[in-house]
Amino acid sequence: MKAFAYVNAANQQEALAALSTATRGRRLPLAGGTDLLGLMKDYVAEPDVLVNVKNLPAGIAVPAQGLAVIGAAATLTDVADHAALAKTYPALTDAARGVGTPQIRNVGTVGGNLMQRPRCWYFRNEEFHCLKKGGARCFAVEGENQYHAIFGDGPCHIVHPSSLAPPLIAYNARIKVAGPQGEREIEAGTFFLMPDRNMFGETVLEPTELVTEVVIPTPRNVSAATYEVKFKQSHDWSIVTASVALRMSGGGGGVVESARVVLGAVAPVPWRSLPAEQMLKGKRVDEAVAWQAAEAALADARPMSGNGYKVQVAKTALRRAIMKATGAKVV
Amino acid sequence: MADTPQVPEVNAPSRPQPHEKYPWPAEPTLVGKRIQRVDGPIKVTGQAKYSYDINRPGGLHGRILRSPHPHARIVAIDLSAASKAPGVKAVMAVLQPGAKVMFQGEEVAALAAATEEQADDALRLIKVQYEVLPHIATEALALREGAPQVFKDGNIKAGDTEEAGDLEAGFKAAAHTVLAGYATQVQTHVSLETHGCVCEWDGDKLTSWVSTQAVHGTREQFAKALDIPQANVRVITEYMGGGFGSKFGPDAQGIICAKLAKQAGAAVKLLLDRKDEHLASGNRPSSASKIKAGVSADGMLTAFDAETWGTGGAGAGSGFPLPYIYVFPNRRRKHRDIFTNAGPQRAMRAPGHPQGCFHTEMLMDELADKLRMDPLAFRIKNLPPEAPNAMWRKYFPIAAERFGWSKRHVTGDPTPGPIKRGMGCAANRWGGGGQGTKAHCEINPDGSVVMRCGTQDLGVGTKTIVAIITAETLGIPMELVRAEIGDSNYPFSGGSGGSTTAPGVSPAIRVTSGMALDALKAKVAPGLGVDAATLVASNGRIHVKGDPSKGLAWRDACKQLGMEPLAVDGQWERGLSASGTSGVQFAEVEVDIETGVSKVTRVTCVQDCGLIVDQLTAESQCIGGIIGGVNYALFEDRILDRVTGHMVNPNMEWYRIAGPSDIPTIDITLMNQPERGVIGIGEPPTISTAAAVANAVANAIGARIRSIPITPEKVITALAEREKTGGTL
Ligand SMILES: Cc1cc2nc3c(=O)[nH]c(=O)nc-3n(C[C@H](O)[C@H](O)[C@H](O)COP(=O)(O)OP(=O)(O)OC[C@H]3O[C@@H](n4cnc5c(N)ncnc54)[C@H](O)[C@@H]3O)c2cc1C
Ligand code: SF4
Repeated sequence: MKAFAYVNAANQQEALAALSTATRGRRLPLAGGTDLLGLMKDYVAEPDVLVNVKNLPAGIAVPAQGLAVIGAAATLTDVADHAALAKTYPALTDAARGVGTPQIRNVGTVGGNLMQRPRCWYFRNEEFHCLKKGGARCFAVEGENQYHAIFGDGPCHIVHPSSLAPPLIAYNARIKVAGPQGEREIEAGTFFLMPDRNMFGETVLEPTELVTEVVIPTPRNVSAATYEVKFKQSHDWSIVTASVALRMSGGGGGVVESARVVLGAVAPVPWRSLPAEQMLKGKRVDEAVAWQAAEAALADARPMSGNGYKVQVAKTALRRAIMKATGAKVV
Repeated sequence: MADTPQVPEVNAPSRPQPHEKYPWPAEPTLVGKRIQRVDGPIKVTGQAKYSYDINRPGGLHGRILRSPHPHARIVAIDLSAASKAPGVKAVMAVLQPGAKVMFQGEEVAALAAATEEQADDALRLIKVQYEVLPHIATEALALREGAPQVFKDGNIKAGDTEEAGDLEAGFKAAAHTVLAGYATQVQTHVSLETHGCVCEWDGDKLTSWVSTQAVHGTREQFAKALDIPQANVRVITEYMGGGFGSKFGPDAQGIICAKLAKQAGAAVKLLLDRKDEHLASGNRPSSASKIKAGVSADGMLTAFDAETWGTGGAGAGSGFPLPYIYVFPNRRRKHRDIFTNAGPQRAMRAPGHPQGCFHTEMLMDELADKLRMDPLAFRIKNLPPEAPNAMWRKYFPIAAERFGWSKRHVTGDPTPGPIKRGMGCAANRWGGGGQGTKAHCEINPDGSVVMRCGTQDLGVGTKTIVAIITAETLGIPMELVRAEIGDSNYPFSGGSGGSTTAPGVSPAIRVTSGMALDALKAKVAPGLGVDAATLVASNGRIHVKGDPSKGLAWRDACKQLGMEPLAVDGQWERGLSASGTSGVQFAEVEVDIETGVSKVTRVTCVQDCGLIVDQLTAESQCIGGIIGGVNYALFEDRILDRVTGHMVNPNMEWYRIAGPSDIPTIDITLMNQPERGVIGIGEPPTISTAAAVANAVANAIGARIRSIPITPEKVITALAEREKTGGTL
């Protein structure tokens, strides 16, 4: 790993100050390091300076009224084990529990999870100089793409790896960001950028900015769930994740007033499915409706040469997430 | 009809004449009991020092620059920038201009630096100019018309045709035939401890702490490659984190490490990283087949005609036994090795057998399905005759009973819902004989005992069985015995491969400790006023046989040695070990047909290994073998990018290995055969797991996936295919 300087920032101000001159890839925030260290050891990231951001806000607050707030430096274990969060935002805590292994969750942070880089095996191996690293081609197109995107049409075909992002978008969370110009709040759904908008990163964040907090509105009359499909039971990436939040109409009777449907690991960004949301709106959810929503969500999928099976997996994940949100028992 | 046996090892006479002087005890006190590993506590508390943990004063870290190209000619190597990099103390070219690299990961240059990070950084300053040559990434590409011929004698090496009986008559006698093809992937060894060593010179004497399966073999190879006397080399492997057949010498990295250490005048530690390990330290070759087989209306196998191929990488073979175990009286089999520009294969836990077992056992289930016959009954009908090393007729029913085979449904779980359950089974055979081990035993005046033997413990429990046999023979508690192994300065023992260690080492320990006891008896007999021949050792005493009161406590007996420890040397002798094992396994799976995810829920294993020395370590071999088999069935796959020939998953992230929650419930029944003596058990338990799992998946979902690993992708594709064609099995 290339030698680097380390700024041990004591708080957010110091961290921001240390990053104020940052340019892409040269000065990087370091939180738990579960992602960044691997990239550095593999010579995919070669920063000159690392800035400790473990001293950013790390608390989790779930007031009875108003917004829930999760500090960027909260660990995935903090999220997974938080009783009040689990009660109000089960789709989020379920997703956090599914991340990697206990060791990863104990060290990995929420900020780092949203900012982690893709797992594309061409990206992660030093010898492939692909589009995302400034090269001329995407190796996945003609190569081994069984875990790549089924939406998005490239030119880079990564899937966004964050398990937290789909439920956060489903809950309509906002990401609080601080930078030299002060603070701003970004809807989680617009935080992530497709490769045509940002080839060398995956979000709207500037190199001088930090994620400081995630804020989530109180879900009223919302039933939400996350369903992940993994090959191995633990220490594995999802083949597909689905998060749904169904806002039920006030009158009771189980009719969906509006829905937010997000698929993970199918596109370069967490993939919000408006067709599925449309399909669920005004319906009383049962297996048949869940099927229709899943069909609608995947109707536009454009699999690559080797990942057609992911369409079926995604349909299943979404259908099961919808049924799980209604309280049904799913396998 | 064939009169030569299909599998020469099967039914080999395998009951040895028992050893005359030191036969295994009829009523052992330690041998065969459930005994914890002697080094368990220090391993789990991190005190055991593996090669990786050896830090020498002033020691450096070595790293190897490897070819990024699967096939290229070296034009020039410029070491100058690297040699000036911070911390660098030695740099060398491994290959010279003009030389060719034949696979990604082949060693090109190397250096040693003060820290691992400095070494890694400096490596990237070595400038190598390559002339990139056409390469072959996969078997399919090698077989394609017009493929570039990258190997001197062509990409394909046709092997012999094995033939017996009358194939035409065999097919004529068949009521049903099956025509099918099966395939297995390339699997790497993924030893948790990677390959490598620490080398330190003292003048022209080399000490090397090596992660090796052969301390003596490694010493020889070091001496030869470095042109120094064997006497000048000492190889130490006190603890080791697995080798599975891939660690039989210093290897390129060991020789490089020694040379760097010499150049730098300091100790060098050079252990591979996980990527190096996947690329260049061996693998189990792939295998593929096209088989036509016939069976008579009453369920007897009549004919077997197979074409097979596989790749062992750059210039290495890919053979495997076929058909496996079951008797096909009329058969033909042609095999071709396909060379690809990938890391060459090495022996891997039961080389060839998991492949042969997979092809044959899949076929057996397909034939049974054609006959509408229970696959277990069908197997039993077609087994070779029973023999001590061919006990499947007995073991299949035992395992079936424990497993609950009678609850198996016919192919395709009729239960509604997405989760389908299924059952499958498979058999295995192995050799597992060994010899050629020497040992040295010292009994000290204070009653403590040292047993020294230049074998090595790969993590399997060798040190423990050395202590068990010594203590058993001397009639003393194991705490009094210090087993010293893993050093080439100790008496010779062979490499630990082919499940030969236990049958090689155990007799040597039995004989040597028996001799030591005889010497001690001779010492104390006069004082007791008895003939030494009447004495026995048991329960911590040396006493007249049948009269424990007429004797001495062990420590008192040892005191009579005075100042001088008693020392004897002994070696392996006939009559205490044998060769030839058999076993069967049953697997139960759950397949989610909507996600394609398969989970192995239970495995039942019935296995023999002659005389069981330690029930716990023998079971542990079964557990490890079965977990390896589950990995082979579902997860492991060396994936090479079809375009560039680079491995895309040289890690433990996308090269999947079962975690604790992926491991099935494992039920083990060991069949003790004390009359045969010790036989190895390292390899057999991994052979049949994947075949049993794959058969169980077919039984669950009603569609047959004829290749491993059984990924969600394959399950979904197979089910979609079945839907399209409307067919079932
Ligand atoms: C074996 C393994 C399995 C995994 N499985 C999963 C999984 O199933 N699902 C999943 O979602 N993830 C998974 N991960 C990824 C893991 O969740 C992330 O690595 C972790 O959340 C990152 O957090 P960190 O604090 O360690 O980030 P770091 O590694 O410290 O940082 C990651 C990136 O984020 C940037 N960064 C960190 N904090 C901030 C901030 N506050 N503001 C701006 N930028 C910041 C860093 O500069 C860096 O680029 C896995 C990782 C491993 C190693
Ligand atoms: S998918 Fe993106 S990251 Fe992966 S090879 Fe293509 S361009 Fe590179």
